Amino acid sequence: MRSLQERVAHFGGANTLRNVFIVAIAYYLSAEIAFLIGTLSDKIFAPFWPPNVVLFCALLVTPPRQWWIYVAGTLPAHVLAELSVSMPTSQMLVAFATNCLVAIVNAFAVRRLMVEPPWFGTIRKTIIYVLIAAFAGPAFSALGGAFVQILGGGSIHDYGLFWARWYASNALGSLTLGPIAMICLERTTRPRLAPTGRAVEAAIIAAFLIGTCIIAFEDLPSIASGYLPLLLYLPLPIIVWAAVRFGAKGASGAIFVISVVLIWRTLNGPSLFDIGSPEANVFGMQLFLIGLSPPILLLGSAIEETRRAERTTRESEERIAFAAASSNVGLWQYEFATGAFWATDYCRTLFGLPPSEPLNLDRLVSRIHPNDSPTASAALRSAISRATPLDVEFRVQDGEEIRWIAVRARPVAGDDGRPTAMSGAFGDVTSRKLAEADADVQRQEIAHLMRVSMLGELSGGLAHELTQPLTAILSNAQAGKILLAKGNRSLSEIGNILDDIIAEDERAGEVIHRLRSMLKKGEVKHEPIDMNELIASTLGLLHSELIDRRMAVTFDNAPNLPATSGDTVQLQQTLLNLLMNAMDATENVPPARRTIAISTTATDDGGVQVHIYDRGSGLPPAREHEVFQPFFTTKKRGLGLGLSICTSIIKLHGGTLSLQNNVREGASAVFRLPPPLD
Amino acid sequence: MGEAGFTTYLVDDDPAVLRSITRLLKAGGYKTKSFSSPQKFLSAHDPSVPGCAIIDLVMAELDGLRLQEALAKSGSQRPIIFLTGRGDVSTSVRAMKAGAVDFLTKPVKRDALFSAVVHAAELDAASRQKRQESKSIDERLATLTHREREVLEHVIAGRLNKQIAASLGTVEKTIKVHRGRMMAKLGVRSVAELVRLADRGGILPARNGQSFPL
Repeated sequence: MRSLQERVAHFGGANTLRNVFIVAIAYYLSAEIAFLIGTLSDKIFAPFWPPNVVLFCALLVTPPRQWWIYVAGTLPAHVLAELSVSMPTSQMLVAFATNCLVAIVNAFAVRRLMVEPPWFGTIRKTIIYVLIAAFAGPAFSALGGAFVQILGGGSIHDYGLFWARWYASNALGSLTLGPIAMICLERTTRPRLAPTGRAVEAAIIAAFLIGTCIIAFEDLPSIASGYLPLLLYLPLPIIVWAAVRFGAKGASGAIFVISVVLIWRTLNGPSLFDIGSPEANVFGMQLFLIGLSPPILLLGSAIEETRRAERTTRESEERIAFAAASSNVGLWQYEFATGAFWATDYCRTLFGLPPSEPLNLDRLVSRIHPNDSPTASAALRSAISRATPLDVEFRVQDGEEIRWIAVRARPVAGDDGRPTAMSGAFGDVTSRKLAEADADVQRQEIAHLMRVSMLGELSGGLAHELTQPLTAILSNAQAGKILLAKGNRSLSEIGNILDDIIAEDERAGEVIHRLRSMLKKGEVKHEPIDMNELIASTLGLLHSELIDRRMAVTFDNAPNLPATSGDTVQLQQTLLNLLMNAMDATENVPPARRTIAISTTATDDGGVQVHIYDRGSGLPPAREHEVFQPFFTTKKRGLGLGLSICTSIIKLHGGTLSLQNNVREGASAVFRLPPPLD
Repeated sequence: MGEAGFTTYLVDDDPAVLRSITRLLKAGGYKTKSFSSPQKFLSAHDPSVPGCAIIDLVMAELDGLRLQEALAKSGSQRPIIFLTGRGDVSTSVRAMKAGAVDFLTKPVKRDALFSAVVHAAELDAASRQKRQESKSIDERLATLTHREREVLEHVIAGRLNKQIAASLGTVEKTIKVHRGRMMAKLGVRSVAELVRLADRGGILPARNGQSFPL
């Protein structure tokens, strides 16, 4: 739909003179038509005066600075038309002035208050139009128009009557011809020619209307005497039909048809409005039409407004569904009261349902992957039955393809605030799930590489951890051999030796077991963990390294520390990493400061906190926040991945890891793990 | 197998290793004293008892090399055998330079351990004997008068009595008397014996008379 400004531009400019000419012709012709329909007994005054509407419509679509051209252009047409009914000059000029006044006032007010088409699209606009164009404008201009008849010889005492006639004539034009003219001028982009069916329907309505009007308003004394109100109502069903089927256009068209038929019949033959004098008859008819038109116009615009709102809603629904489908989302809604389930077509695609299948909740739930089905469908059903928000992810097996679908839903409150429906969306999150799995694999790979590289750094100390038991085993065995060779028969001594050998073998086995689990590349496990034990075991792995680097370690383990849960290997990796950082940080400080203090405490929420405190060189000042970023390192041969791996491991366990400088010297690493699930 | 009184002192802070090597040494017939920490060893150490120390290089309190230093500072010349978990070249060089007898890699084999101990025992015996000898030489040298000592230095420089007398500003006869007394005090009968004794006692020959201030 083009804006008024565009239409103004189209109408004005170089074509102005041509347009003024067209308007003048139209003005003249409409005046002639008015005279053709009929005039009052003075043969001058027409009860229905369309030229005002022609001028009003011309002004409506032209910029105000050009209005004077149109007013000037219509003056000759006015003079020409009035001369044909031989109206005196003074009357003619006053009539023209008041006609122009009503057109200008109406056009100005409509442009200001109704702003732009569709003029009769809303009830509000229609009310404004009726108030301005049918009441205020004509009432105001009639103050001057009444003088036309006084100039024509009318008595000044009849000023009220003349005012009323003049008002009724102008208001009638504005109410009957104005709306249909304005609607025609709207020039929507919709096809101007209605489909054949619609055109036929419109023609049938018009014919019915004309027929009904002729019958209804015929002066049939035998019937009319007692049934006047009934006859007045006779065209009403057809008017309603027009309004319902064609909106404001239909309503205004119906009014126009009735008006023309009624005016013509009233002026040219026996009429229902047989009050007395022809003037009185016409006036009665005018009042009837002025009373009839506004409700019909309002009905039409109300229907139009509803229809437009419906169309807007439908369009926006379609847009949303399309947008949702484009972003792999299907929408659905479940009515609690009726159990009705509505879903966009894309839901079929998501759940791999053929178009022929009915789309209902049970059918969708049946498509959920058997592994996810119990939890997902239970969550879905419980959310629906309790009207609580829902957020679940599950898989759907569609042939060979596995699709991950996330469902989010929330209850929708009705007018009384109680939930009436569940409204939600299914989204295809397969690619995100794949990316997550990918990232998971990569993180595990990196974590594994970091473990391997850490153990590489520790290889000397770890070898020593193995050498010790091997030394004890070898020495014991050799001592035993010597004793036997000497003929020593002390079985208790041999027994002691064998006990020691077994114990040391187990010790070596333990070391190898720890190493192997650290080197293994496995799935992340979830097992109960005694943090004190894990720290002790980690210190065991580091034993030789700590001695080698002359580090003193104290471990203040909280008694009755609650159990936590997680992956032993990954948590040990974190501990190893943090301890090695502490060792590296204390490498260049005096021996007295080469200490690491580890402590465990229970947190308020039933979890575990581990504090690793060193007195080393601390974090680089002002760059403390950077240490968790990948590839940040202060070590000469560091990769800068250690702490970011530690963070991701602790996060994966639902905990937090922080690292900061101590007040005096060195740094502290603190991590918290939540209590185990269940 | 070991000689009377020879003791092996074993220091290792890993109790299992300490126990097993002690067992091995005892089975090998060595009198063995074991210490689970360097401090305990140091505080109980008696240098006069012949023997050798077998020390773990990597210990929490005080590592092997420092223990070696501490022993040397206390005047002990006890031979040391190091045990280590890793074949670290630079550490072994340092240890050997500081006078270690041997540097054995864990797990240590019986023969290697025993031959190192035998070697250490020999070294300990030799050094004790040498120290014994030099102690008696020192005692004898200490009985000489200043003049006799001067004469000694000139004699071992290969000078004749006449020359010595000239250097010391006296007559040949006096020198002869000093020389006779000196030889008697030191218990030597020939110049050759005297030279050997002086050499062991660390006495340097006089340098052409100029050592004597005019």
